[in-house]
Amino acid sequence: MQVEITGLRKVYPGGVVALKGLDLTIPPGIFGLLGPNGSGKTTLMRILATLLEPTAGNARVGGYDVRTEKASVRELLGYLPEEFGFYPNLTAYEMLDYLALLGRINDPKERRARIEQSLHRVDLDQVTGRRVGTFSSGMKRRLGIAQAILNNPRVLILDEPASGLDPEGRVRLRDLLAELAGDRVVILSTHIVNEVASIAQRLAILRRGQCLFRGRVSDLLEPLKGTTWIIDINEDELSRVRQDFEVTGVFRSATGMQVRVLANAMSHPRVHATEPTLDDAYVALMNRDAAQTDTPCERDAEQDEPA
Amino acid sequence: MSRPDLPQLVALFAQECRIAFRGAAFWSLAAASALVAAWRAATPGATSAIAAYRAAEVILLGLGVLAIFLAAASAARDRRQRAAQLVLAKPQGSSPSLVLLRFAAVWVSLAVISAIALAATSLAQIAVSGTAWHPYPYAHALARTILPVGLAAALGFSLSTIFTTSLASAVAAIYWVVIPLTRPHVATVFDLTLSQHWPFAALLTALLMLLTAAFYARPIRDRGPATAHLGWAVALLLLATSVAAYSVATNGADALLDPDPILSAIAAQSCLADPRAPGFWLPDAHGRLIALSDHTNRPIVLTFWGPAVGESARSLILIRDLAAEFRSLGLARIAVCVDRDRAAMQPFIGDAGSDTVMLWDRGRHFGDGTYAGDSPAAVAYDVGELPTTFILDRERRVTGRIIGDASPDRVRAEVTRAIGP
Repeated sequence: MQVEITGLRKVYPGGVVALKGLDLTIPPGIFGLLGPNGSGKTTLMRILATLLEPTAGNARVGGYDVRTEKASVRELLGYLPEEFGFYPNLTAYEMLDYLALLGRINDPKERRARIEQSLHRVDLDQVTGRRVGTFSSGMKRRLGIAQAILNNPRVLILDEPASGLDPEGRVRLRDLLAELAGDRVVILSTHIVNEVASIAQRLAILRRGQCLFRGRVSDLLEPLKGTTWIIDINEDELSRVRQDFEVTGVFRSATGMQVRVLANAMSHPRVHATEPTLDDAYVALMNRDAAQTDTPCERDAEQDEPA
Repeated sequence: MSRPDLPQLVALFAQECRIAFRGAAFWSLAAASALVAAWRAATPGATSAIAAYRAAEVILLGLGVLAIFLAAASAARDRRQRAAQLVLAKPQGSSPSLVLLRFAAVWVSLAVISAIALAATSLAQIAVSGTAWHPYPYAHALARTILPVGLAAALGFSLSTIFTTSLASAVAAIYWVVIPLTRPHVATVFDLTLSQHWPFAALLTALLMLLTAAFYARPIRDRGPATAHLGWAVALLLLATSVAAYSVATNGADALLDPDPILSAIAAQSCLADPRAPGFWLPDAHGRLIALSDHTNRPIVLTFWGPAVGESARSLILIRDLAAEFRSLGLARIAVCVDRDRAAMQPFIGDAGSDTVMLWDRGRHFGDGTYAGDSPAAVAYDVGELPTTFILDRERRVTGRIIGDASPDRVRAEVTRAIGP
């Protein structure tokens, strides 16, 4: 079971190019899609979920073409959209029952068992009889996750699954995804970088419809080893530091400010080396891409690995 | 891959009905319809038949518009509640069976609203008049409600699915406003509220449902530019117009107005129950529909005649001559020709005079004046033999009835009595 994307291109009717010939192979396990707003994450997920037709190129989910074999793809799929709603007058149970029926879980006993299990997994089993209209946004998102895992999908596509969840909800989501992953393909998108670091084994970074990186999280961090520093500065030094170095983060400390910078060599009175984080790698990648927008660098850490 | 089976469809339909029935929109619609229907039924002077008739009118014209909005709301539901992506990503999320189930659920909810309104009507009626009610009017009201409301729902459903805006349902609503306003000119072709037009209405409904299903099967974001939808809408309109035009060209505008037995029964009933003369809409020599209520606040001489009956022509000439005497009083003259063939009245138009309204009631009569009892208006007036002349006063009460050959003095006396002092 894997997802193969070749030369995928999407141009919206208004002329906006959302994906510029994307190539990606997503093996089983948790796969993070990272990128700024408007980078094409949602477009890619919607194409994989058969909700959008690609303009060119191909995408196959578990061997089925998303363009011509929609029904087969949907049988394999659990999808959580970024923005969605439920029918407010139905209870949580009824809503899932409706969606389970649309998912062709025809046997009433099986349906009941699946719904109860899904609601339990997202910790909503105390409110099954409550109308969805009365739910908080976090509960709605959890119900969204419950409907995505309802049909025991082989491929789970989650668009911003953690948005609106409280810290406890995020931890539970992470546990749930780890539990589900196994031989399933789990694709999740986010623009919060550290979220991916804690969940995903592999990731792809998109920007303006192109893939800047794909591979393991460790492959992204490896080149930055020994080049990540933290400098303690005063507030008035900040603009100068920004000019001199590639800054990946600014923090307030008890004594003043700290900036994380990337540099091969470093000479500063108040500096110490640190381990690179996904944040550093992400910012570095974005900065470099922005600097050479005309000739996008396409790094591929996975070329020498078996897919 | 499993196919949808019957228990699954039933369960899905139950959920669809649940979605349609729950919530304030449904109940406020039902309450409003019931109130309006009850108010109409309780208007003074109503017999059971007339009250039911009025209720049917309310349901047809008033609820028709509301029905469109309900159906449109259901079609736009996924977008409004932002559930479209959840639904469409499911294996059955874009199947035609789901579209039809949703349509059926909307239809069932409309039928329930109609039933609530009708129940309110009959209760109000019994409370106000204490008269026993007859099953005919209710059967008739339902018969005339179901198809037009179904069509209205289909129209709203299709348009809002295709155009995805509430503007579309407003366009559909215009249909219900334009038809009553422009009745004489377009009614014969387009008035689908006439139950006689049911084959046409059913065809159009089926077309709309198919078109909707075809559109629904495509992902929402990928529907292409708006001009394509406009093209579809224009094509549909052209198709409907050409079907209607063809039907008029081959059959004549009035061919669809076949006698409606239930309508006749109601009209005959109300004729007996109500002092007021039953209303009708009948085509004139040019195929335009003329209503009795077009001649309000005037005394009327209403003659039912047949071209094959010798006395008929004499009656026509008689009332033509009387017209001059009563012209200052605004006497209206209506001559209803009862015959299988509309062209049969053409030679008599001269006899009747230019300002006599010549109408046609499709039915059979014989040379001896006996009448087969198969034309709606004549049945409503309980005409047994031709010619029969009715004198109606300004309030449309029947003040006189002359069967057979009428003498000028008799008619003059009756008209004088109708006009009053």
